[in-house]
Amino acid sequence: MAVKIPNHIDELPTSSPRFIGRGVERVEDIGLITGRTEFIDNISMTGMLHCAILRSPIAHAKIESIDVSAALELPGVVAVVTGEDAAKWSHPAASSPEGWGTYCLPTDKVRFVGEPVAAVAATSRYIAEDALELIEIEYEPLAVVMDPVAAMADDSPLVIEERGSNVMLQRVFNWGDTDAAFAAADHVFSEKFRWNRLGANPMETYGCISEWDPNELNITVRGSFQSPSHMALGRAMTFGLPSNKVRMIAQPHGGSFGGKGGVRGTDISLLLSRKTGGRPIKWIEDRMEYLTAGGSQAWDRRYELSIAVSDAGIVTGLKVKLVDDLGANGEGFGAISAAKPLAAFTGPYTIGAARYDLSLVATNKAPASPYRGMGPPPHNFALEQMMDIAARNLGIDPAEFRRRNFIPKDAFPYTIPSGNEYDSGDYQAVLDKALALSEYTKLREEQERLREQGRMIGIGIASAIEPGVFDWNAYAIVGVQGTGVPEGATVSIDILGKVMVRVGFALEGQGQYTLVTQLVADYFGLEMDDVNVTMLDTASAPPAFGPGGSRLGVAITGAVLGACDRIREKMCKVVAGLMQTEPENIQLMDGVFGIPGVPEAQMPMAQVAGTMLGASHLLPPDVDPRPEATHVWTAAGRTPVDEEGRAKSYLTAAHAVHIVLLEIDPETGMVEILKYVLVDDCGTRLNPATVEGQTQGSVAQGIGAALLEEYVYDEDGQLLTSTYMDYLLPTISDVPAPLMGEVVTPSPFTPLGAKGCGEGAIHTTPAAVMCAINDALLPLGTRADEVPAAPNRLWKLIRAASEKS
Amino acid sequence: MATKHTVRIKVNGVNHESEVEARTTLVDFLRGPLALTGTHVGCEHGVCGACTVLVDGRTARSCLMLAVQADGAEITTVEGLATPDGLHPIQQAFVEEHGLQCGFCTPGFLMSLVELLHENPDPSDDEIKDVLGGQICRCTGYQSILKSVHSAIAKLRTAGLAAQPPLA
Repeated sequence: MAVKIPNHIDELPTSSPRFIGRGVERVEDIGLITGRTEFIDNISMTGMLHCAILRSPIAHAKIESIDVSAALELPGVVAVVTGEDAAKWSHPAASSPEGWGTYCLPTDKVRFVGEPVAAVAATSRYIAEDALELIEIEYEPLAVVMDPVAAMADDSPLVIEERGSNVMLQRVFNWGDTDAAFAAADHVFSEKFRWNRLGANPMETYGCISEWDPNELNITVRGSFQSPSHMALGRAMTFGLPSNKVRMIAQPHGGSFGGKGGVRGTDISLLLSRKTGGRPIKWIEDRMEYLTAGGSQAWDRRYELSIAVSDAGIVTGLKVKLVDDLGANGEGFGAISAAKPLAAFTGPYTIGAARYDLSLVATNKAPASPYRGMGPPPHNFALEQMMDIAARNLGIDPAEFRRRNFIPKDAFPYTIPSGNEYDSGDYQAVLDKALALSEYTKLREEQERLREQGRMIGIGIASAIEPGVFDWNAYAIVGVQGTGVPEGATVSIDILGKVMVRVGFALEGQGQYTLVTQLVADYFGLEMDDVNVTMLDTASAPPAFGPGGSRLGVAITGAVLGACDRIREKMCKVVAGLMQTEPENIQLMDGVFGIPGVPEAQMPMAQVAGTMLGASHLLPPDVDPRPEATHVWTAAGRTPVDEEGRAKSYLTAAHAVHIVLLEIDPETGMVEILKYVLVDDCGTRLNPATVEGQTQGSVAQGIGAALLEEYVYDEDGQLLTSTYMDYLLPTISDVPAPLMGEVVTPSPFTPLGAKGCGEGAIHTTPAAVMCAINDALLPLGTRADEVPAAPNRLWKLIRAASEKS
Repeated sequence: MATKHTVRIKVNGVNHESEVEARTTLVDFLRGPLALTGTHVGCEHGVCGACTVLVDGRTARSCLMLAVQADGAEITTVEGLATPDGLHPIQQAFVEEHGLQCGFCTPGFLMSLVELLHENPDPSDDEIKDVLGGQICRCTGYQSILKSVHSAIAKLRTAGLAAQPPLA
């Protein structure tokens, strides 16, 4: 019998859900709030040594010689590894695009400041760092290339000589007849945009404790992995080991946002473990290492956009040219951020034809990594600016302009030109609600009044799609293989009717253990305290990926409800045997199995479990006596990519409209957000408090992107922002308190109708803030097309515009 | 081997005497020899505030302070807030108001708030933001933290507590 996974909350076996759909307190919080949760750096193991990594101070140089002899003499130092060990015991890292990975310790030259060159294992971190100072390295500096456009030139210095070019990928995708759309257009608008490097910056850096048994030839790593299964597969490839000899134990970790990184540090610590005969090696990345060379840096982009528009204000074509600077190699998988925009290339609009002219380029910067949103946030920022430019030129209000171009609510499921299918939505309703909440008409009147007083007031409105439930096929154009991302869970009920759920991912902050608990408690009519969630390592977990791509809430709901349904089916057989009827006559409702309408034929779930595990003489002969089941969920209907990169990739399309009112101080260039309104539709809200928390956190990261955060390199490749005094994260005073509203169009394709929503507002916030800034600058006749719109940039623009006038 | 110094400190009401190198930071001392791993290291350069503890009742960044500088001091860490009977009201408020997500920065926020609410049981939003401006949270976007603070203020008022335990 097929497993039944409800598409609506009403289909759960409960007359009234007590937990799903409510903002219940999180099961994760007690350990976290008391400081007891076991983050990786809290763990100490017998025989454990501490690793410190020596990093390149030069952006591009040949390594002439490395002398580690003095370091090895220091008391407490047990081993040192260099590129020689990496070449002996490992392969170059997997990368995207393929073939752009390097050894975890370089054998010939360094390619960016902060690149690891050697590493020490010692009895304390203090001693390990002392030893780094005793390692002598001679470098012969090479010409540096920091500008991706210059890097594409034939005479550019090469970052990886063997590749013969710095162009990692160059391709033009055509979806529909873009040329015809532009030829027929009444208006064509074009603009350039610059999105500077920023990145994830979870408050916990990456860390691990690595063991490589040199005799058994197996690997065990405890660490702050976002995706333990993915790390395991990568280590098997890098070290040439059978995948079943590689075990990853994920610890709860302090955030990730896609940018936890950690591959190089893991591999280096594994080399040290092997060299020390298998001792556990702890490596904890410090913050400067994270900022310089961790999974910290993403989205370093130069855009040129054109849109074709009719007199009636309908956008018919979109051209996007992107030069994406991925830094020194492809090992950070930053390239997938250039592929993901295909999942929502034309946003929430009916634009019928599009072209994507994509160049991925290597330079002497740190390798680019993923970051929350995985690429669409800069794409949306550029697209939404174009919508405003067109609206303004045609004299149409930006809200009205977007409305005219929205995909209508009766058009779903809707396939966009770049191939993905949007599941459902009601974009007009979301816009209407946002306009009402913001009192948009009044806001415009207020703006006029304040402008007359000479104040620089702007209103920004932006609308974007958040693709949810990622699929590997979304990244096929940058060499990532596979379709489907399985997520499994095992639900086990004990003899007293209490439940243990085993999953394959660790706590990261989004509250998925709470979600699992809510689901199981409602399914079997239990209290949340009756359900416990625990994590399995990769040697014992069912297939699992963990959090990423706004996917886990939907995927784990499918896995847990599938496992519950399998248990229900077994229990129905047991109960049918006891009640001498057929299983199809037995129903589960509110935690009780029985024959509907027959009060004496009712059996609480705990009693059924107790019978299965403790009264085998009562069981029908052919029944599986374990009140336990595993279900592995994956999105149905995903398709392999066609020759133009098109696929049904992300399963859901959440939607949001943000409206921002802000003021620029012309004296300082500082931006103050006066009002922030957002309305979103992410389908059924399984835990509204979690959704709100993810949204608000994502607004904060979007504000950081729009106004504060930037990795700045000088022309020699030195990073000038390697502390939090230079790389500015939003503080409590920078982040607005948005007025939030919701529209709910349940997804027709997902468990309980939920849509992916974890990445959330960062898809829309930078676009909305930049639209508002440009609205504020309008009277000056100037534009801000670079992110972040930091005070120095705005001040210069305002000053230049004022001088001209 | 570097010279070691004797450090006598009281942490969460318990006396400790240890030999440490002068360069050992307070946070490494707390997390290492004392195994009080609830205090977290976020940046090691005094910006993020994750490692905030109370030293003689005043907040300090334990990554920027040496263990030898804390000789003779009374220290409170996050482990000193809850009792065997339950959470501290500020902790309870954070749980109820979803004031945390990954929870890594949270101990620092809690310790800063213990100091603030002891000195000023009814702070304004601006006063709260002024103090919490020194703590970085990358997950929540701060609004749920602000709600948690308001809830904590009410709880402490009801309980008649001025953010006790810890202040020497």
